Amino acid sequence: MAISNLNTFLKDYFRAHHCEILQNDNGIMQIQLNEEMDRALMNRPFYWHYIKKMGHPGDPMKLTLITNPEQREQNGEWIHFGSPRLHQIINHLKNNERFTKLFQTIETTTNTALHPWLVVNIKISYIGKQKKDELFSLGLNLVNGAMKTEMMEKLRQIDLQNAISDYCYTISPLIKINSGFNRIKAVLDDYLSNQEHKWAQDSLKALENEVELLKHFYQGNDEQDEERVQKEIDEITQRYSPKIDLSVINGGLFYLNPSFTTTS
Amino acid sequence: MNNITINHDSEFISGLQDTLNKEGPFSSWELFEMAYQAEQTTMTKEFYGLRALEFLPHMEFLPHQIDTAKQAIEHMNGRAILADEVGLGKTIEAGLILKEYMLRGLVKKALILVPASLVNQWVKELNEKFYIPAVAHRKNYNWEQYEVVVTSMDTAKRNNHREVIENIDYDFLLIDEAHKLKNHKTKNYEFVRSLKKKYCLLLTATPVQNKLIEIFNLVSILKPGHLGNYDSFVKQYGKDRKKINQDIYLKQLVQKVMVRNTRKDTSLNNAKRHIETIWVNFTEPEKEVYNQLDTSVQPFSTFSKITFLRELCSSREACYLSLQKLLNKENQELLEPIIEEIGQLPHHAKAEKVVELLKDIGDQKVIIFTEYRATQLYLQWYLQQHGITSVPFRGGFKRGKKDWMRQLFKDRAQVLIATEAGGEGINLQFCNYMINYDLPWNPMRLEQRIGRIHRYGQEKDVHIYNFAIQDTVEEHIMKLLYEKINLFEQVIGHLDDILSELQINDLESEIQSIYNESSSSGEAKIKLDNLSSIIHNTQNNLQEEQQQYGNI
Repeated sequence: MAISNLNTFLKDYFRAHHCEILQNDNGIMQIQLNEEMDRALMNRPFYWHYIKKMGHPGDPMKLTLITNPEQREQNGEWIHFGSPRLHQIINHLKNNERFTKLFQTIETTTNTALHPWLVVNIKISYIGKQKKDELFSLGLNLVNGAMKTEMMEKLRQIDLQNAISDYCYTISPLIKINSGFNRIKAVLDDYLSNQEHKWAQDSLKALENEVELLKHFYQGNDEQDEERVQKEIDEITQRYSPKIDLSVINGGLFYLNPSFTTTS
Repeated sequence: MNNITINHDSEFISGLQDTLNKEGPFSSWELFEMAYQAEQTTMTKEFYGLRALEFLPHMEFLPHQIDTAKQAIEHMNGRAILADEVGLGKTIEAGLILKEYMLRGLVKKALILVPASLVNQWVKELNEKFYIPAVAHRKNYNWEQYEVVVTSMDTAKRNNHREVIENIDYDFLLIDEAHKLKNHKTKNYEFVRSLKKKYCLLLTATPVQNKLIEIFNLVSILKPGHLGNYDSFVKQYGKDRKKINQDIYLKQLVQKVMVRNTRKDTSLNNAKRHIETIWVNFTEPEKEVYNQLDTSVQPFSTFSKITFLRELCSSREACYLSLQKLLNKENQELLEPIIEEIGQLPHHAKAEKVVELLKDIGDQKVIIFTEYRATQLYLQWYLQQHGITSVPFRGGFKRGKKDWMRQLFKDRAQVLIATEAGGEGINLQFCNYMINYDLPWNPMRLEQRIGRIHRYGQEKDVHIYNFAIQDTVEEHIMKLLYEKINLFEQVIGHLDDILSELQINDLESEIQSIYNESSSSGEAKIKLDNLSSIIHNTQNNLQEEQQQYGNI
């Protein structure tokens, strides 16, 4: 689920960072930043350096964000999917929220075991003449080796917290994290090798085509052009040679009730 | 599958292991989940299409601009010549293409080479319109430091810079005014060929009349071999441009790397233009002063004299103020009587005509364009005297003030009086009447004026009234420049082609020099007549060729 409501997204973001929302009417949101968020978003390192030197606690700014385009003439920043501010926030999230360890919230008075899961959100980028991305959320039960897709969707159905609930205890992983990750990798490799990859064939065809043209272009020219020809071939190769990049967005260790897999 | 390079993520798992060993810091579920949402929002789900559009909600792109960007990315794989006619938004198309590549993560490092005078404008447009963090190159910056750098060719190819730049792997190279690279023996050409680039855009308004070999040279920057090699090309097509017409195949090849939109084929054509010349006669006293100025030789150069005459045709105030500035001890005797007489003149004949015309037009919004600030102020006052509300508009207004004036015009006033049409103008499609109170000598400026209302989104026909005073310099310009060559109806879209064919850079200074170098207005008239004949002929020749073989 991509961000659908920017206003809600921002509200959640600032709340999660413990900032007070002073006002939020009609698509205009005013936020009282705290020091951490002022440092992260307001780009004034000299102020913080100076004020701390002076022994002063500092004075975090207020930020007014406008999510309703009809209000954009008002005082504040119009924030939308292309605005630099949103990208700053998105990058802040992507850089800081990489790793986690979470426990399922369980209200119980009997001893309950929690199974460790390795959850990995991974992006596959197919890059040829054009580019496209795919996003996978995979989970591996580190006790019995069960693997689940669309993990994030499933995790949204339950409550999670950073500390373990009362009467709960964790089972130690039988599969090490590293080998767990290798299992996930193997599954993805398998997935990739079962595809036809027409995009890559197209791209290779374009590559061969242009290299051929290039050779024709330099036909009959003297030796000294060789360096130039190589440079141009490199450029063409760089532009067209198909590749697939896998990059992990974020992931972590999740301790979940064994009934998790059956209920969802 | 064997030919595909696969890069696995090797950092994540050791990072996670480290964090677990150190017992944190761990993300909360909320933020962890939001980072995932953020990725889902920024990822590129399809190979095709322009994602940039949803990221630039404040921009209104024209259909041909979107098509061009798509074509350059999807069919030309990021190496293209953008050759739209002036005023159709090549900069916008280029910005859109760069933005798309940056959003898809395919471009990080970009070099943008533009004429020195346009560096700041490019930086501003990329930042404001596209949120692309472009910077202008400054002395102490180093070239690696910034991702998107705008600079001039001359700066880039200076020895100390050149070496550094040649070693950088650019993902994206853009060259504005690329027709300057037409000769493969020049240093600039050699320099551009030596740059390491993935995607490359060449922007030019004037490739059609280039010699065939020049097109060959441009294409060879993008796609060497696409048109064969130099020897075979020269052998087959010669260096003579006429030969392009013999080869429909060659034309198709060129179209694979070049996009050219013309006014004719963009959707700007739906609303018709009605153009009417309004002749005005000076009153007797006005005529007298005009002749007095015209016949006096001293104390000014022909250059300034022609300026004063033009001003007098616009308003007493414009001429009066310039003459006052000129006043000094030596010319006092000669000038003061004329200044005195100008001060005594009644209302300007044109201003009266404007009021008359406005009453005929009735309850419609009208834009009046004038070349002079003084005239603008005078007209505002004069219209007010006749109960007509108007707002002023100048190119120098800040953005906010421009928008405010536009709003006032839309909601409150009948007339907008503007002195400058070009550059960062405003769009006034809600208005479809325009009065050119005085005519600019550069027809492209006139086209820009008309473009304010005759643009995408205009649903009604556009009415344009051009004012000119009989028996004055205005009549020469109107009859010889505008009417003789059918400027309004036919030529305007091709004017840049024609002028470049004739190697005229700036029509306005061309006319200025005709007046400067002529000793009488009769002589000037003949020279002007010659100029327009040449333009007319060139236009006919170009048109014949294009009818036969189509516009590239």
